[in-house]
Amino acid sequence: MTSMASPSYHMLASFTMRSEPGNERLALAQVAEAVAGQGLSAARLERLKTAVAEAAMNAIEHGNKNQPEVPVDVEVMSSDGDIVVTITDQGGAPEEAGPGAEPDIARKLAGDQAPRGWGLFLIRHMVDAMDVTTEGTRHTVTLTMRAGAPAGQEGGRSEDHV
Amino acid sequence: MKTTCEAEVRILPGGAVITLSGEIDGHAADALTQGYARAVAGGDPATVVLDFAAVQYINSTGIALIVSVLARARADGRKVVASGLSDHYREIFDITRLSDFIELFPSLDGAVSRLTEATG
Repeated sequence: MTSMASPSYHMLASFTMRSEPGNERLALAQVAEAVAGQGLSAARLERLKTAVAEAAMNAIEHGNKNQPEVPVDVEVMSSDGDIVVTITDQGGAPEEAGPGAEPDIARKLAGDQAPRGWGLFLIRHMVDAMDVTTEGTRHTVTLTMRAGAPAGQEGGRSEDHV
Repeated sequence: MKTTCEAEVRILPGGAVITLSGEIDGHAADALTQGYARAVAGGDPATVVLDFAAVQYINSTGIALIVSVLARARADGRKVVASGLSDHYREIFDITRLSDFIELFPSLDGAVSRLTEATG
């Protein structure tokens, strides 16, 4: 009898936050604590922390519209050495970003683009993969740091399914 | 959960130094805007140094605030340089291409030496 080579996930932490501005820092700290000892280099830990903070901030502000009683759920898992973090808000599918939404520093400095809009851009560049799924009102961003990826280098690829 | 950012301003020959501390996020808007205003109020500095050595955290909103300060300085005809960024935030300045427009120095001393050279 053979077994399928499906990944097995080991839960490292699971917690829920209120949707209050600034709580992304709590998510960052709790995820950092959960992945301690999981073999992430210091540089890749910093990258994961930035990605988690940005995804949590998006969930609080854009997903849950800063309504404190609406929860943001965070799960931290390991799978064959990969670190997987899911961040779920209750905002359903976000509006599609229009063409030209990719932040461009030259356009921003010229006043052709608003100074803001760096969040998703940063997340994509910080992690090895980012997936976005929506089931009803539950909107989940999944961040993956792969085992064995080079330390301190730009993320190998981005799976942005927005 | 409130965060804090403070900006101290020092006027030097050839430029002004804005020493930032704390966290550069949405709450840092006043500190950055007023810091820049104080840096240019006493004269006409050709260069503004942003020193990040005492900054623990920068998020995407903070990046947007830095872009705004840079845009303002460029409109005023001033150069912006930065010092004291950690390796992680240097990488973020590279990824966002802020480092194409802001010369980065490892230390404040290096950035200040450049000001002195420019006026010497």
